[in-house]
Amino acid sequence: MNTVNPTANKKVQAPSRLSRFLGSHLWHSFKRDRVAQVSFFVFLTAVILAACAPLIAPFNPYDLASIDIMDSEIPPSWKDAGDERFWLGTDAQGRDMWSTILYGTRLSLTIGICAVMLQAFLGIIFGLAAGYIGGRVDSLLMRMADIQLSFSTLMVAIIVLAIFQASFGAELYSELAMIMLILVIGIAEWPQYARTIRASVLAEKEKEYVDAARVMGLPTFRIMFRHILPNTLSPILVISTVQVANAIISEASLSFLGLGMPVDQPSLGSLISSGFSYVLSGAWWITVIPGAILIVIVLVMNLLGDWLRDVLNPKLYKG
Amino acid sequence: MSNSSTDAPLLSVNNLEVQFALRQGAVTALRDLNFTLKRGERLGVVGESGAGKSVLGFSIINLISKPGSITKGEVVYEGQNLAVMNNNQLRSIRGNRIAMIFQDPMMTLNPVLTIGDQMVECLHAHRKISKAEARAIALDKLQQVQIPSPDTRLDQYPHELSGGMRQRIVIAISLLLDPDLIIADEPTTALDVTIQAEIMGLILNLCEEHNVALMLITHDLGVVAEVTQTTMVMYAGRIIEQGPTQDIIHHPRHPYTQGLINALPQMATPGQRLNQIPGSMPSLQSIPDGCAFRLRCDKAIKACESVVPDLQIQQTVQVACHLYAPETRQASSLNTSQTDAKVGGLINE
Repeated sequence: MNTVNPTANKKVQAPSRLSRFLGSHLWHSFKRDRVAQVSFFVFLTAVILAACAPLIAPFNPYDLASIDIMDSEIPPSWKDAGDERFWLGTDAQGRDMWSTILYGTRLSLTIGICAVMLQAFLGIIFGLAAGYIGGRVDSLLMRMADIQLSFSTLMVAIIVLAIFQASFGAELYSELAMIMLILVIGIAEWPQYARTIRASVLAEKEKEYVDAARVMGLPTFRIMFRHILPNTLSPILVISTVQVANAIISEASLSFLGLGMPVDQPSLGSLISSGFSYVLSGAWWITVIPGAILIVIVLVMNLLGDWLRDVLNPKLYKG
Repeated sequence: MSNSSTDAPLLSVNNLEVQFALRQGAVTALRDLNFTLKRGERLGVVGESGAGKSVLGFSIINLISKPGSITKGEVVYEGQNLAVMNNNQLRSIRGNRIAMIFQDPMMTLNPVLTIGDQMVECLHAHRKISKAEARAIALDKLQQVQIPSPDTRLDQYPHELSGGMRQRIVIAISLLLDPDLIIADEPTTALDVTIQAEIMGLILNLCEEHNVALMLITHDLGVVAEVTQTTMVMYAGRIIEQGPTQDIIHHPRHPYTQGLINALPQMATPGQRLNQIPGSMPSLQSIPDGCAFRLRCDKAIKACESVVPDLQIQQTVQVACHLYAPETRQASSLNTSQTDAKVGGLINE
């Protein structure tokens, strides 16, 4: 016990992140959970397809020159009236549904993920500050969060977007639609993060390692971000998955109401909306296919979130 | 202290008072604390739970949690009064010149950072050095605390190590910046007995080797007797007896200290109940007038009810008890001869 290792002076490389990951409970649980595997696979496929949309899609739905109005409302290719150029048919303006869905998924996912990043950024800063500093800062930030939460996200978004559209005109709006959606959804939902993080910070800051860090003379900022924040990461991860799904739904709802992405850059929501008036005339595919894809993406994200919550909660450890 | 040296003390605490501002009013956790600590000296702070030992530890580095604050007095460390310093100045002392070891090593290490990261971070907070240099220092300190294969420990997480090992790491962290003073707040309470002895021996050796002063907060008189040179006994936020450890252990003067030593299992007759001090320490909100210990003291006299005893010099030690105050002895002899006889009997013992 008391002999000092003679080779101890040479520096030893930290075990690689990959080997650490492969030995982790997270990976172990993932290997055994069919639902998580399927969900992750579906989600990954959606992300890859969306990211590579310009490479995969047979048509560019943003290129008005390639769209022929004569091709409108062609059913999917397996139907009798189908056209083999258009696998999933075309919409009312003659755009290829498959290409439009790829681009639309890309927009929806981008908006969802960016909005959640903004939410997380605001929520982490405010939540950490409220929890760690406490006192008046805490009261002020949490009352702000309460007020914000008393307005529903959609209501805030509808008001802001409608005012923006009315005052700056539809043209400027359609240029800035994506950024506006990210900002509105991002800002409207930060209290979700802030509350979760504040709750775990309150629990964490009573632990002795925080005292120990203060006794070491570490600056407050470092204690907050390097010592406490990583200990609150598991609830952050779990709500992130659910929040991305929520943000995608919010975006789709807004687009459906005509306040989201403009018709010439359709997201999944605006596609569903644009096909809605044709459902009764028989062109169900314009609404149903993007709707199904939206549901699948949201579902797998929620399933992944559920799985993560179980894995990261030591009280639910199932071995 | 009896043997005064010419060089200035490393730490001197003068008239320290710490209060907690609660809704029901201010509660005084520490009052009229005076003591000094020389470079390399080892001081034991003994007392029951709630005596204010841990608050004392935190108040030295001026890190008392929220409603509490230093309301009076000063904590002079190398000529600087820590009680009036701002946070930035204090940060350069904390961890750097004065380090602290806590009770439970399971809790004091951050579960999500590797041992190496935590050590490097502590070094970076006080010194501008590269990561490689910091790791080298960390490795060196881990070797000093005799951890087997220290190089692999650097990249391990706290949960991968045993309790004794973690306490060694906590000690290594406290030594990182070669502090002048280590405050150890019950460093072995959470460990089992065999490990306790190892860890205490390690702390003792390291303090002697590096000439580090140690303030050992504990309720284990056995540890105090082995490790420290001077001892301070606290009761309800006051020092009631202080002096060289050997004198206090062998000739306790205050009835409370006598009770503590009598309560040690070694002092009991086999087959008999263990000795105990009747009652428990009053809560800080309801400390009785006069001597805080008088309600549990079988030697209490009239003066104890109204007058708070001051520390009296009795040969090598200082003791806060009316039984040893010459003027109270005279006064009480005027009142009743009965108490006088009682006191006389005690002092003749």
